Amino acid sequence: MNKIAIIGFGGAGYCAAEEARKCDPDARIDVYLDTDIGPYNPMLTTYYVKGAIGYQDMFPFGSLEKIEEELKLNVFRKTPVVGLDAAEKTVIRADGSEESYDSILISTGASAFVPPVEGKELPGVIKMRTAEDAVFLKQYLSEKKPKTGLVIGASWVGIKVLEDFMSCGMDCTLIDGADWAFSIAVFPQTAQRIHQDLENKGVKLGFGQMLDHIEQESDGQLTAVMKNGNRYTADTVAVCIGIRPNVGFLAGSGIAMNRAILVDEKMRTSAPGIYAAGDCCEAYEVQSGQQKNIGVWFNARKQGAVAGANMVGACKEFGGNALLNLAHYLDYDFISIGDVSACTAEDEVYEYEKGELYIRAVRGEKLKCINMIGTAQINGIMKNFFVKSFETEDAEMDVPTRCHLLANGIPAEFIDFIGGKTFD
Amino acid sequence: MKHVFTFDPDKCCACSACVIGCTDQNDIDLAGGEQCFRKTYDVEIPLQDGDVYYAYLSTACMHCKDAPCITACPVGCISKDPDTGFTIYDNTACIGCKSCAMACPFGAPRYRKEDGKMVKCDGCYMRVKNGMKPACVRACSFGAIDCVPEDEYLASGSNKACNALIDQLNLRKKI
Repeated sequence: MNKIAIIGFGGAGYCAAEEARKCDPDARIDVYLDTDIGPYNPMLTTYYVKGAIGYQDMFPFGSLEKIEEELKLNVFRKTPVVGLDAAEKTVIRADGSEESYDSILISTGASAFVPPVEGKELPGVIKMRTAEDAVFLKQYLSEKKPKTGLVIGASWVGIKVLEDFMSCGMDCTLIDGADWAFSIAVFPQTAQRIHQDLENKGVKLGFGQMLDHIEQESDGQLTAVMKNGNRYTADTVAVCIGIRPNVGFLAGSGIAMNRAILVDEKMRTSAPGIYAAGDCCEAYEVQSGQQKNIGVWFNARKQGAVAGANMVGACKEFGGNALLNLAHYLDYDFISIGDVSACTAEDEVYEYEKGELYIRAVRGEKLKCINMIGTAQINGIMKNFFVKSFETEDAEMDVPTRCHLLANGIPAEFIDFIGGKTFD
Repeated sequence: MKHVFTFDPDKCCACSACVIGCTDQNDIDLAGGEQCFRKTYDVEIPLQDGDVYYAYLSTACMHCKDAPCITACPVGCISKDPDTGFTIYDNTACIGCKSCAMACPFGAPRYRKEDGKMVKCDGCYMRVKNGMKPACVRACSFGAIDCVPEDEYLASGSNKACNALIDQLNLRKKI
């Protein structure tokens, strides 16, 4: 009988348990949780805050009790794993007790990163990642009724918190250390349009400045003091600078890591019998051929399912992984596919703008990065084609795909640019 | 009983009767800016040798076996109907994040601006469960689209399943 452990129970952990149970009805599956709540989707927290969904909707797989019963799991609630003996495949619990397994999955996810600055603990300074964060912010907005909000970090979480603030009628300012919003994924030309849209909606912007510390004014307001001396005062300050993988407990375990745990296509770490999946791992990405941490819900679920199956003897692989950033906020959406940092001045550039549609793409020998605003209907087609262009030599589009793109207002020249040219 | 949509491009003239059938069945408000779940295409594609390829197509959700939209949906709106095998949805908790559209290689899920929710072709699974053909199939005068039980399809040796496209997804080798 397989005896496996799952450390951390979000989207990756749940899908691992589900797949392991499907492949091995008799396996013993132990799940370790820091909390006593079921797997939830961190992406949904801001939707809960603004009232788009109820609390239970953040838990797409149902309650922990239901999952525990249906998948026949042994759930260890509020039982943090503080260490791992990789060679012995043994987990070390906070109380010092140990348990050995045939295989172990690390699916501990990631946490919001708040820089260690003075004032980060002041009342009214918030972060957003967990269901607990969401409950706190919803209650805070409801009770305190702040009039002004400052969001530090033009990140994917930051923009959604800003949307929450604006849905409460708050006057908002968005600032970031980079020179433009979403700088790790978008071209400056794309950012220019994103900035214009935000300003049109009344958001004040400030880029290229780093947070030094946060002060509380005599009237209770908060002032973020930047390293360049600028001061931004608001009723509440959201620090949304980014996330960090939860891998601290693996120090000294010998498991190979970069920023997160390095895994192969089968979600195996460098230690035999130890797997990792979701936001705490770096899996192979098609464009660079390197391992990268791409923390999206879809990846977490797919990676978890692959790991879960392999832990009980199957042989599955996770593929099709590309750098991908999708933002949908304030009736605006854009997508970035590929690595903007891989683009050089020698590359070929395609640009198109018509009404609300904007496309900017760059290619060298192969596609490097595509930014698109207002193209939600074709985002999946483009992402899929981008991945296939790396996975298959001379991949081109079939007729239905080309027709679909044309019908959605995508210029034939762009289809040709990305490589959909040849028809026999 | 699992069902399979089939499409024969040689019989399609992109007359859009299927679109009318789908629009009627699903009460799609075209005048209000909604898009039908099914699309037809009548496109001339210039070839490298100077000739022209005329494409007549009717497409909708392919009802993939391992549907990526199901995995991508953050709130779990999308699922498989256990009887028909079609990819169905309950958008009560849909947040309109468009993650399903980003996952779909065929552009099938549509965002309905009116209520900010995702909608898509559900294969008319209630009709099929009750022994009827999907609305698009019933409306097609030329037999270009059909929906047949999976075992019947497999026994026929046909290669016309819509979701057979998945195997050659976006791939066309240069000649």
